[in-house]
Amino acid sequence: MLAMYKEVIRIRFLMMLAYRVNYYSGIIIYSINIGAYVFLWHAVYGGKPSIQGFTAIQMATYIAISWMARAFYYNNLDREIAEEIRDGSVAIQIIRPYSYLMVKVFQGFGEGLFRLFLFSIPGMIIVSFIYPIQLTTNPLVWTQFLISLLFGFIVNVEVNLIVGLFAFFILNNQGILWAKRFLVDLLSGLIIPISFFPAVLQKIFAFLPFQAISYIPSNTLVKGLSIHQWLPAIGVQFVWTIILALICWGFWSKARKTLIVQGG
Amino acid sequence: MVQFQIFWEYVKQYMKARLAYRLDLVVKFLTDLISQSFNLIFIIVVFGHTKQLGGWNQAEVVFIYGYFLLPWAIFGTFFNLWSFNDRYIIKGELDRVLTRPVHSLLQIIMESMTPESLIGVVTGLAVMGYGASQLNLDWAWYDSILMILFTLGGVLVYGGIFIALTSISLYTDSKTDIQPIVFNVSNYGRYPVNIYSRFVQFVLTWILPFAFVGFYPASFLLDRGDWRFYAYITPVVGLVYFSIAVLLWNRGIRHYRGAGN
Amino acid sequence: MNAIEAEKLTKEFQIYQSRKGLTGAFRDLFNRNYRTIRAVNEVNISIPQGEMVGYIGENGAGKSTTIKMLTGILQPTSGELKVNGFDPHNQREEFVKTIGVVFGQRSQLWWDIAVQESFTLLQKVYRVDNQKLLDRMIEVLNIGELLDQPVRKLSLGQRMRCELVASLIHQPSLLFLDEPTIGLDVLVKENIRQFLREMNKEFGTTILLTTHDLTDIEALCSRVIMLDKGNIIYDGGLTKLKQEWGEGKKIHLELDQEISLEHLGQLTEALPVTWSKNEANTKLFTASLQGNSVTASEVLSLLVTSGVPIHEMQIQEVSTEEIVRKIYQEG
Repeated sequence: MLAMYKEVIRIRFLMMLAYRVNYYSGIIIYSINIGAYVFLWHAVYGGKPSIQGFTAIQMATYIAISWMARAFYYNNLDREIAEEIRDGSVAIQIIRPYSYLMVKVFQGFGEGLFRLFLFSIPGMIIVSFIYPIQLTTNPLVWTQFLISLLFGFIVNVEVNLIVGLFAFFILNNQGILWAKRFLVDLLSGLIIPISFFPAVLQKIFAFLPFQAISYIPSNTLVKGLSIHQWLPAIGVQFVWTIILALICWGFWSKARKTLIVQGG
Repeated sequence: MVQFQIFWEYVKQYMKARLAYRLDLVVKFLTDLISQSFNLIFIIVVFGHTKQLGGWNQAEVVFIYGYFLLPWAIFGTFFNLWSFNDRYIIKGELDRVLTRPVHSLLQIIMESMTPESLIGVVTGLAVMGYGASQLNLDWAWYDSILMILFTLGGVLVYGGIFIALTSISLYTDSKTDIQPIVFNVSNYGRYPVNIYSRFVQFVLTWILPFAFVGFYPASFLLDRGDWRFYAYITPVVGLVYFSIAVLLWNRGIRHYRGAGN
Repeated sequence: MNAIEAEKLTKEFQIYQSRKGLTGAFRDLFNRNYRTIRAVNEVNISIPQGEMVGYIGENGAGKSTTIKMLTGILQPTSGELKVNGFDPHNQREEFVKTIGVVFGQRSQLWWDIAVQESFTLLQKVYRVDNQKLLDRMIEVLNIGELLDQPVRKLSLGQRMRCELVASLIHQPSLLFLDEPTIGLDVLVKENIRQFLREMNKEFGTTILLTTHDLTDIEALCSRVIMLDKGNIIYDGGLTKLKQEWGEGKKIHLELDQEISLEHLGQLTEALPVTWSKNEANTKLFTASLQGNSVTASEVLSLLVTSGVPIHEMQIQEVSTEEIVRKIYQEG
């Protein structure tokens, strides 16, 4: 079973390699993108040493790291699932001797690994030459970050699975897919660190899973969180992976029933 | 004129098909509104921590964003090329398009347009109006005419860039992620470009000229003369980029290898 | 003017060859291997107005590439091509008004809207308003009841008949049909064939038909062009094809009494015939005729005049399908 999922990862990795054009241009454009935000925040700081506990340099680092992390956790599984539901091929997948959703997760992971090594890491190196950012050299913080990033990936995948499965209940869920993309980018703290939002919104966001995708890993690295600060954060991520997994599972069993009733 | 008749016929058919899924239509309106309000939220959150952004106050930045929504909505209506690669290249629909007596690009625009996105123009005008209400703008009679011209120029810039990117699919069988990423870049035309470095300003002016879609024309309408020249050439930049894109497209059609090879 | 006039028509593709394994894929990231293949190799085709021609070949023979060049979808790599007097790719918009195309696997119609709406839209696209022709086609193909249904709800046979009407709405003088009867039942097939014959007879529509189903070709075409690995290997009449390749005709005989194989062999010594005997029923014999130099009646008259008591007989012709298979096997 494990060997099969390893194969799924490997195949996806190879598939990604086949589409090479993305990566030459992708890194460059992501860098321009990060740059635009770095300048935007630079203008917001306008000489102030620190806002909401972020120094200007930490802010720039935060932006760079969260965008490059996005390259790792971002995938189009929601779109793929929705399409497979709409064209009916999901019915064939269900009768195969593996878990459809798990295969999707591992496909996403293969894609993520590819982008981590061929996009995020070289991208980060390039970006650190262009913009005034400061990365810690503490291996413990990096370990904490990587663990947190992996959880961020899982939460994002779970959100994607849930949104993709909506297609079972709404024929054309294109709009929801778009809305989700904006929602995740804004509420995960990719564009604005959560601590910059007004206090009321922060309280609401604390009850949403999105900060577990981007804000927690990026904040861990940029602030160099100590173990004591980090453990509660990773705890939040962990709880969300469980909750979302349960929702996924619920959706999926309900979806399978509709599928059987409709006869595929 | 004939082209327009065909165009109108497509609009009618589209609406008939679209109205069959009324719920989707509502969802589309809602998501458009959500995405637009999110950007407003961003501006408001940012101004919670500063009084000005590169010399522009909150009302002005809101106005620029509102203006940006006009060309953006029109672009979104007619240049829905996001799934071109899947639908026309991989599934081979382009073969069919090429056996019909209308320019291939025009057919694809007509087949994939979403007239309901025009609602964004209303949203944009409302956001502009909200920004303007807090400012003391000197609005001359010809400003409205210029605004329409600038908007069309911005649509052509957008259309040109995305048609050019779409035509990559005609040259290579590789799938590209460039479109969604450039889409991210395009958002930065809606902030005052003077906050960026020279290099970024250059890119946003001459390479991916998204500054012409939002900031340059809007700054002119806000009575800031510093970028007057850029505002005036907006329609020209639009025409140039659009023409280049159409040339690239036409050349790509010659390169097209056909589906299933 | 010929409907289709192609001279040394050639199409080459650059094929990207991926290297093996993970390291190979990494190398591909930076440097790709390309190989040029010739899908269509200096093909000459000349089809006069009003002819119905079958175009056959195995998968990958270059069939669909040729069709795509003829319909203006692809630009030929080299060679001369005139279809209805146009250069299909470079004069595309003018040219396609004079042709109709049906791709069996792909729909010409708009998926979500009613068939009638698709027809109206196509009339606008082609700038025609020939309601009489449209009504007539609707009647012949018997699709009147389908007009207000969306295309996605039609069965394959229903859809294909609508596709045919859509492709002829502007009364083109040349019709390309790519696998038009694939997956259809016999009645629908016959309906479509009848319709095509009518269109050809009445309007002189030239029809180029590619198909895997040779009964289509037998029913419609007098001429066949056969393609293999980008080259034309046969171009001529269907009857001539059968004559040239149709060797191996067989005569099955049931005699009133047993006769030895040797005796039969001696009787037909002068002719290129070999005999075989049914193991179970000793009164059943089969004569295999070699080549086209001998006809069944020659053999039979020889046997009858020699007093062989024939009870029952059956002549087995070789089917076009077998002929085609044979041609491909022997090159």
